[in-house]
Amino acid sequence: MTTPMLERQINFLDYTLSSLWRKRYKNIAVVLVFAAVIFLLASFQLVSNGLLERAQTALVMAPEILIQKMVAGRQESIPVAYAERLQGIFGIRQVTPRVWGYYFDEVTLANYTVIGRDQVAGGSDDQLTQVLADGRLPAAVGETVLGQAVFRTKGLQDQRVFSLFRPDLSLKTLTITGLFKKESNLLTDDLIVLSLADSRDLFGLPPGLASDLMVSVANPREIGTVAKKIAAALPGTRVLTRPQIEKTYHMIFGWRSGFASVCLLAALAAFFILSWDKASGLAPEERREIAILKILGWQTADVLLVRFFEGAVVSGGAYLLGCTAAYIHVVFFGSSLFLPVLAGWSVIRPDLHLVPAIHLADLLLLFCFTVMPYLAATVVPAWRCASLPSATALQGG
Amino acid sequence: MIIECRDLIKTYQADGRRMNAVDEASFVVQQGEFIFIHGHSGSGKTTLLSLIGGLTSPDTGQVLIDGRDNWQQSDNALSDLRNRTIGFIFQFASLIPALTVLENVLLPMSFGGVAAGARERATQLLVEVGLKEKMHSYPGQLSGGQQRRVAIARAFINKPAIILADEPTGDLDEETEQEIFELFKTFNREQRTTFLIVTHNQHLATTIPGSRVFTMRQGLLKEIQAG
Repeated sequence: MTTPMLERQINFLDYTLSSLWRKRYKNIAVVLVFAAVIFLLASFQLVSNGLLERAQTALVMAPEILIQKMVAGRQESIPVAYAERLQGIFGIRQVTPRVWGYYFDEVTLANYTVIGRDQVAGGSDDQLTQVLADGRLPAAVGETVLGQAVFRTKGLQDQRVFSLFRPDLSLKTLTITGLFKKESNLLTDDLIVLSLADSRDLFGLPPGLASDLMVSVANPREIGTVAKKIAAALPGTRVLTRPQIEKTYHMIFGWRSGFASVCLLAALAAFFILSWDKASGLAPEERREIAILKILGWQTADVLLVRFFEGAVVSGGAYLLGCTAAYIHVVFFGSSLFLPVLAGWSVIRPDLHLVPAIHLADLLLLFCFTVMPYLAATVVPAWRCASLPSATALQGG
Repeated sequence: MIIECRDLIKTYQADGRRMNAVDEASFVVQQGEFIFIHGHSGSGKTTLLSLIGGLTSPDTGQVLIDGRDNWQQSDNALSDLRNRTIGFIFQFASLIPALTVLENVLLPMSFGGVAAGARERATQLLVEVGLKEKMHSYPGQLSGGQQRRVAIARAFINKPAIILADEPTGDLDEETEQEIFELFKTFNREQRTTFLIVTHNQHLATTIPGSRVFTMRQGLLKEIQAG
């Protein structure tokens, strides 16, 4: 048994749906265009959120402090012996040399990122272990762990042994001991991790040299202080901290998504200018319909409620459609439309499967920028019309 | 008395001149009366109906329905008055195209919060105006005369005390016109409905004994036949 009030609201909704159905082709077109705009905005939001989340996950690999030797403003190999000059600094737990560089594979025409490091118990290798899908980190000479894309593009499948070329074109054979997780693909997809000795061998780097030194500290809150002391102890080096690296990621993704969002906001603005133009100039038959409804006893609030329902169905439908399509696009289709803009360029495009968390604040922001203006564009003109005397509907005499 | 108009004046600006659409109209209507208003186009008849129905406000003067001044009431109270007390029949098509004939007739009732027996009453009214077979049709599928009859059925749906009719049978044939006026007389007899009818057809007043007739000329209202 419905109450009169509920029945009244149902009647209004029924009237709204009839009215929308009457203009169904136009309304479907508006919903589709509106949904497309929302889809673009929501996709960018989700992709940039997903990438940031992935970056955060992958940053467990990043050392707390990284020391690079700089000569004439460019990075050069750093002597491993520099580590001895840090022994006196209180708070340093461990200093680990690392070799890294790019290996161009002539067969697949792709650049792989190679990292050489020795496994150190209790060190940051434990963090690398966290992003291993299976297997173990290299523990001996001739062992390697690969990213998903390296494994896939080289067509290794069941193969556990493969070879890379040294600079003198002799072959270096490696045995795969593990693969990195898909979830860390943003940073590990094109990665080959070797022992320090193997990486020097692969790149032809003399013993005693590394690309950089990774420093772990006993107390993470002391990272800044320790970094300053290292910079003082090793002039001519660049000392990077994990918070600085995190900030760089945020800036890169934030700038890219911000730039893209500004471009899309222009599309959104164009849509609203058009919809406002449409809504503010009520057609004569719409004005007469409002007048007739008022004459039959509808209150101004009733007219506004129906127009609100109309706007809510169109914009709410477009919002749900756009957001759902964006989520499907990002999660199930790997953000194929926008990832090149947001993830940057690479020969091996990271095979990302983003499952971004949905933030209520983001949804609310999108709602405020899309649904609310559309509602205003439909309700305000109706309010202006319904507030006028209804006598305009009577003609003649 | 159900309607009382006191010194109603309504002016319009046209071609830079002020024109009196209604010029100091004063009259009283008792419940159950038939009032006919004749006059040429532009004489102010429709404006007078608009003033009585609360569709437009007078420049000066008062319209009292059941002793309450229309323009001393809130917009919502005025809407409620139009919904429950007054039935309007316009001289032009006034149906909502998105709704069926039945839904159009139900429109004032559905949103007035009176639901019990509404469908049966609407169906009965459509039978009385000869459109039962068209109840699920849309206005666009009806002729002008049929649309007018739907509007008439709609005007009666809430059993209003007053019917304001602007050329209600303007584009109906003579036979249908007679049927409609029989319907008016039935409502008048059974429910003591008050009718204010604007029409060019001066003959109609003679078919209803006891009706009062007014003429309007350049906004001036004059009673020419007392009931």
